Amino acid sequence: MSRLISDVISFGRQYLRSKVGLFFALIFPILLILVFGAIFSGMGNSKIDLHVQDLDLGPRGGNFTRAMNQTNAFNIIEIPVNEDINEYIKNKSLTVAVLVPENFSAEIELRLTSPNTTGLVNVIVYGDKSKTTYSMVTGATEAVTNGMNFDLARARPIVGLVGKSITENSKFNYMDFYLPGIIGMTVMTNALFAMTANCAEYRQRNYFKLLATTNIKKWEWLVSKFIFYALLLSVALVLTFLVGRMAWDMQSILTPMAFALIAVGAFTFTAMGMLLGVFIKDPEGASAIANAVGFPMMFLSGSFFPLEIMPGYLQSIAGVLPLTYLNNGLRDTMVYFNDGGALVNLGVVFVVGLIFFVLASRLMSWKEK
Amino acid sequence: MPDNIVEVKNLVKHYPPDVKAVDDISFSIGKGQIFSMLGPNGAGKTTTVEILEGLRNPTSGSARVLGADIFKDYSKIRGRVGTLPQNFEPFDLLKPTEAVHYWAAMYDLKITKTEVNRLIESVNLTERKNLMSKKLSGGEKRKLGIALSLVNNPELLFLDEPTTGLDPRARRDLWNLITVIRDKGTTIFLTTHYLDEAEKLANDVAVMHRGKIIAQGRPDELVDRYGSSTIIVLEGAGRAGFEKLGKMNIKASIDEMDDRNVLVPVKKHSEMKSMMATLANSDITMEDIYTRRETLEDVFLNLIGKKMEDGVLKE
Repeated sequence: MSRLISDVISFGRQYLRSKVGLFFALIFPILLILVFGAIFSGMGNSKIDLHVQDLDLGPRGGNFTRAMNQTNAFNIIEIPVNEDINEYIKNKSLTVAVLVPENFSAEIELRLTSPNTTGLVNVIVYGDKSKTTYSMVTGATEAVTNGMNFDLARARPIVGLVGKSITENSKFNYMDFYLPGIIGMTVMTNALFAMTANCAEYRQRNYFKLLATTNIKKWEWLVSKFIFYALLLSVALVLTFLVGRMAWDMQSILTPMAFALIAVGAFTFTAMGMLLGVFIKDPEGASAIANAVGFPMMFLSGSFFPLEIMPGYLQSIAGVLPLTYLNNGLRDTMVYFNDGGALVNLGVVFVVGLIFFVLASRLMSWKEK
Repeated sequence: MPDNIVEVKNLVKHYPPDVKAVDDISFSIGKGQIFSMLGPNGAGKTTTVEILEGLRNPTSGSARVLGADIFKDYSKIRGRVGTLPQNFEPFDLLKPTEAVHYWAAMYDLKITKTEVNRLIESVNLTERKNLMSKKLSGGEKRKLGIALSLVNNPELLFLDEPTTGLDPRARRDLWNLITVIRDKGTTIFLTTHYLDEAEKLANDVAVMHRGKIIAQGRPDELVDRYGSSTIIVLEGAGRAGFEKLGKMNIKASIDEMDDRNVLVPVKKHSEMKSMMATLANSDITMEDIYTRRETLEDVFLNLIGKKMEDGVLKE
């Protein structure tokens, strides 16, 4: 036991003295939570610049523009009537602009007074259909024109919708959903990247050979690394959570299950790093292989993007990544208060970790052939 | 306790398809000796050491260390052996004192602060004991490595090329340290490609080449056996002196270290007096005339036919 504790202390001392290690374990997740918070916490409040050219000589064009403005989604910028809208869009590199055509009011009046006149009086949305701003503007335009139609028909809407939060606490915000992803990513990057590099360094500097001449067992060395990362990443969890809570008014909670998931995640990714380290001879190779495995996993496992928005085949890949289950488990317990679901995810992560651990223990050799 | 601390018989290590890293070697090391395995890079020195440290399995042969069969019972002697691997680098972000504490724990030893300081002092690192190891010089890092290898007070210490890459002063510092350790009763297995190191430190030398031991004995024995025993140095005689000796049918050579000097080897001690007289009475112009014994360097050249510089054989 004293060998194991000494190894934890010695390894921890070196890790905490390494500024890079400390940065990625404790500072980086806090920076991420602050940056993500700054980006996403303002969503819904920020307005998009919308350039509108109103060529209508009557009052209806002005009514449309005012209605668009009242959605509070846009800063309306008027395009001078003497400008060619196509040139204007090109010169200003706009992704979207709206044109209220000449005789807009007159054409509407014509259809109101002569029911036999057919065809719609259109507002034209110019834009790049691949951009989200285009979708937002067409959505808003559609809503405004529907409102105008109701008004012109002297009708009133009957069917509507009410948004309702699926979490128990309706005050949850974007960051409550991102925090578990950031924590999961921190567990993965620290344990996996650092252990792969450590194994390569121990081999290159002959530390494994030296250790093989002492009494420490290979499993003790492996377990000591897991203990250290579980402790370190629990501290990272608490710090990131506290900063997120103070900065972005997050409502998610820290639960014992979250700490259990951190410990099991640390175990799994430490073992995975050791397993990769078995095949790596030098630190440069370790960095390359850890990046090749870690980065795709980071993006495919729902740390930053909901899995639902990914194509089916990517969702299938996510289904075999341990980080997916760690992220899901953390969200289950911290956001949805569903410890039953979290326990299932914890079980999956643990079984995967156990397989990695057994393989790493068997394949890793401190001796030469 | 057996008389010999290490006994190796017909040790072989082959790597497929046809690499003979260690090719049927036998030797023994007496208690309290410095045994030096001398040879160029790739001769098989490290492979031999790592087999004796339990880090490699041999293809065949037997080896006993501290009385134990290392292939069956290495765990019994693990705590009685110390190791400094080749190109040792300590953990960058541990201080020497912390490294010693850690290493003692790896041997299940409880070591007091006083004992740590004493060990650090024994390798002359007291003034540097609170620095991060990455700030130590190359020589200091090796000294720390030796301190770590001594933490379990070993009866046998393996030092695998401990001075490689160090400057001459650091090398001499380590030589003194190694001698002190030997004088305290520790048996030392030293591998090196420095001929002067083996000659200075070793009680017994095994010259290794291409996996085989090609000569073995005390340094002076090897010089007697494989050298010309004594050399007469004609200082400042130069090429003119060398040519005159040729005309006198006296075998001589130009000193490679200083081409102003001419060297005349004398095999038998009985011939020395008459040869000195002949040379002194010749008309060769010289600044001085004196004798020196041949060194292991000359022996190595005679045995292998090539000189060795930094572990690399030169034509």
